[in-house]
Amino acid sequence: MKNLRKWSRILHRDIGFFFIGTTLIYAISGIALNHLSDWNPNYSVENKNFTTEINLENNASVKNNILLLLDEVDNKENYKQHYYPNAQNLKIFLKGGSSIMVNVKNGTGRSEYLKKRLVFYEANYLHYNPNKIWMWFSDIFAGALILFSITSLFMIKGKKGVIGRGGIYLLLGIIIPILFLVYYL
Amino acid sequence: MKKIVFVLVMALAVISCKTDDKKAEEAKKTVETAEIPFLALGEFDAKAGEFVNKEVKVQGIVDHVCKHSGKKILLVSDEGDIHITAEERFDAALTGSEIAFNGIVVEERIDESYCLKMEEDNIKSHSEGASNEEQFEAKKKHIQSYRDQMIAENTDHISLYTLKYVSHSVVE
Repeated sequence: MKNLRKWSRILHRDIGFFFIGTTLIYAISGIALNHLSDWNPNYSVENKNFTTEINLENNASVKNNILLLLDEVDNKENYKQHYYPNAQNLKIFLKGGSSIMVNVKNGTGRSEYLKKRLVFYEANYLHYNPNKIWMWFSDIFAGALILFSITSLFMIKGKKGVIGRGGIYLLLGIIIPILFLVYYL
Repeated sequence: MKKIVFVLVMALAVISCKTDDKKAEEAKKTVETAEIPFLALGEFDAKAGEFVNKEVKVQGIVDHVCKHSGKKILLVSDEGDIHITAEERFDAALTGSEIAFNGIVVEERIDESYCLKMEEDNIKSHSEGASNEEQFEAKKKHIQSYRDQMIAENTDHISLYTLKYVSHSVVE
């Protein structure tokens, strides 16, 4: 038992240190992605309204006119594509995911600029398993979490351990998800 | 010497087989590609019924990638739009790019039982706080629009068509 306690502490401590960064990545992106209905966790969005005199009706010279508009409100180098969702509106796509919607009848428009959220964008990217290498690494991380759970049972002895206060926390942590399932499932 | 000649002959035979296989594969691919029908986005809804569970090709601009799942794309053109779904997440950087997609046409039938299920889900997600008042009301209107359409068309169901992603290429 003494040996088990010793090795539980060693593994919990050393592997724990190794996975601090990964834990933070999943924790930060987990909170961010839990609240997708409330915000865009990858980009901050800035909207700007404008009016233009440029003719943006769907005709042969519209591409040139769009570039003129972009020089007014943004930068023509950012042009990517455009289309007309209906006879009244023109949508222009810009590099980096931003876009502009213009009412071609009255010249009013609205730009939507997307800016990557530092840390969140990168953490969310990893959270969604971008490729097989990361998938294997995150599987190892998940395995480490299981190991942390098991080793934590043996790390502390006495009234603060699993047969004392630790045991109460352990039961509470199991009862809460069970209650949730009983109520909602 | 005999051994060297034998090895060379065998190597040539293997290379020749591989080249033939490759040529055959390429020829097969070319025939397959040539056989995949192209549907313009403007005619997709009207013609998709003829291609249910079959592969078609479409082309348009990616208006947006679903921010929730990342597995749904709205593909648009001046003439129309369609949704493309996939099992893997799409790269959000596709937004605003002209893309040619190959995909399998999928039919979804909307009928009264489907509307009732949607209503139930809408009430449940709203009561659990998963949707706000605006989203709740928008969904209610959406369900009602299906019912209105069925009454107007004097039918017991509406067919909605989407494309299940197979492959894509960026159009320069």
